[in-house]
Amino acid sequence: MTAAQTGEREATAPPGGDAAADPLLSVRNLQTHFFSREGVVKAVDGVSFDIKPGEILGIAGESGCGKSVTSQSILRILPRNGKIVGGEILFDNGESSVDLAAEEADGRVLRDIRGKEIAMIFQEPMTSFSPVHTIGDQIIETIRIHQDVSKEEAHEQAVEMLRRVGMPNPARNIEEYTFNLSGGMRQRAMVALSLSCRPKLLIADEPTTAVDVTIQAQMLELLRDIQADLGMAIIMITHDLGVIAELTDRVMIMYLGKEVEHGTVEDVFHRPQHPYTRGLLASIPKMEPGRVEIEPIEGVVPSPYAMPTGCKFHTRCPDYIAGVCEKQDPPLTAVGPGHEVSCYLYGGREELE
Amino acid sequence: MREAGGRAQMEDRAIISVRNLVKHFPIETGFLRRQVGVVKAVEDVNFDLNEGETLALVGESGCGKTTTSHCIIQAQRPTSGRVLFRIGDAAPMDLTQMEKAELKEARRNIRMIYQDPYSSLNPRMTLLQIIGEPLVIHKMAGSQEALREKVAELLRLVRLDPSTMNRYPHAFSGGQRQRIAIARALSLSPKVVIADEAVSALDVSVQAQILNLLKELQNQLGLTYLFVAHNLAVVKYEADRVAVMYAGKIVEIGETEELYTNPRHPYTEALISAAPNPDPDTKNRARIVLAGEVADPGNLPPGCAFHPRCRYAEDRCRREIPELVEVGGEMGPSHRAACHFASELELAGISGGAEEPEREQA
Repeated sequence: MTAAQTGEREATAPPGGDAAADPLLSVRNLQTHFFSREGVVKAVDGVSFDIKPGEILGIAGESGCGKSVTSQSILRILPRNGKIVGGEILFDNGESSVDLAAEEADGRVLRDIRGKEIAMIFQEPMTSFSPVHTIGDQIIETIRIHQDVSKEEAHEQAVEMLRRVGMPNPARNIEEYTFNLSGGMRQRAMVALSLSCRPKLLIADEPTTAVDVTIQAQMLELLRDIQADLGMAIIMITHDLGVIAELTDRVMIMYLGKEVEHGTVEDVFHRPQHPYTRGLLASIPKMEPGRVEIEPIEGVVPSPYAMPTGCKFHTRCPDYIAGVCEKQDPPLTAVGPGHEVSCYLYGGREELE
Repeated sequence: MREAGGRAQMEDRAIISVRNLVKHFPIETGFLRRQVGVVKAVEDVNFDLNEGETLALVGESGCGKTTTSHCIIQAQRPTSGRVLFRIGDAAPMDLTQMEKAELKEARRNIRMIYQDPYSSLNPRMTLLQIIGEPLVIHKMAGSQEALREKVAELLRLVRLDPSTMNRYPHAFSGGQRQRIAIARALSLSPKVVIADEAVSALDVSVQAQILNLLKELQNQLGLTYLFVAHNLAVVKYEADRVAVMYAGKIVEIGETEELYTNPRHPYTEALISAAPNPDPDTKNRARIVLAGEVADPGNLPPGCAFHPRCRYAEDRCRREIPELVEVGGEMGPSHRAACHFASELELAGISGGAEEPEREQA
């Protein structure tokens, strides 16, 4: 399976390279802010990235970095006090390019795309399902909202999808309620629901965080297999760099609403450039023989209401350059093909003066 | 105090010895709460916690690791079995036989740190109250002035600013709150600290700070840790010895490096294989993905509880429950596994670091 899978993935999306394919989704300078009594939180503050058809992109960072808000912005399912205040989210729906950021959140365009073209899976499968309907009814409903098929056809499609995600007895499982299913089976049912309309893009927001390691391994294998099978693009959002390394082609590391580094997983994990990326990688205990020391990043993540000026990481950065880093946001600088870093160590200082 | 027999029952270096520990929860149904079954959360667990070491209990949810730790501190009374605790050269005491007043005394020496520092700290108490409370309860505080001094010292110990002692937990981040919880746990100068998933809820950069802090405190104060966790990489970093639990039993126990490089139980092998490694080069490695899910402790399969998921299972495994037996050669430290084929199977442990040259960061 591994060879076939790798082949497929490489055929559809050469990692890091300038593929001929146009991006499926192109996020340009996205800014999503939250408004509350205490002030404005710039949860996502100028993030840009592309994802090509069939590619697996990871978005990684610690709590509060804006990775989940980025995904909620794409699907326009932000909490009420969150607002996209700038930027574009261009989605190629096959015929033309739509700016999801400019559409009404509950308008026709978004409702057609959500669940059909772009689907999402969450950390807790119970939140994706209604507890009072069978999983089959819910999958069939989703199929019939987006496709013009009969009940019987939709039922067949639903059984087929449950079979694909490895439910042990799809014909029977389709009649079950979520509370009858074990944690791992619920996760599978959630994947089946999200993929029931064959989306072009699947956003997975920490889908393996709340599960045990053996179930996590099953889930990662399932996502890998189903991606090879159906060929959709995946955005994997997680704080777990192990999951990123196992699953994704490219990765974007975020810190306090900003993109700090992106590139192929190989570049970012083997040749990390940004001091934050290096710090993160040095903080993780490794599954390697012998004693491998870990080095924490000093200090704490600043309060979102009192963000540092300039580079958001400068208050904790071991390579902090006084008189430079706190002045302005560092620009993204290319350090290799498809590998960009936002840090003054690699350029951008000339423009400061 | 009740004494529990002679010293013979405890290993020389042991500070806590768990013997045949069993914890069953009844499954009740209906208005009359008729008992229809039993959840065997912990089933005949034996181990020694040696003075000054870190012993990790690892396993997936429902394996009984947390229940075991609760039964040690008597937060839950075990169904049967003994928990022997000894300070210095004193005679061992059986915690399971103690009354409330005696337990209070013993619990001064065994403290807990919990997973979620957002729910384990009372939001209406200041740091002074949170950290000082155990001292007040055990009447070790003396004057208000002495209490403040002691709390300030504890805050410095966990690298927090003593001037913050009149603030409330909400003013602190997750990592700082966990430091507060540690300061509270250490306030009575305990011998043993049970850390139940103490770093699981933290971000990685902060998790690393707490892991290192726990190690420093251990060296500084001579603490003994029982480290309950599910993250194998974290356990590898923190623990001297590891006990792997599955469905209420210890299936393998040994020194960390030995157990990770040379696992002797198929479940340990699978856990190690499944742990995601932050190295893209291992992306396409052959991974053991266990089918199915953790055995239901309310309805355990016959024989070895792991057999339905085990790729090496044979007939014998479906019938006979394997004993936890020595597998590590006659020399060297003890390494025990509960598998009928522990001595025959060739299982894979962690590898990679040795054959690959160290990758330098640019």
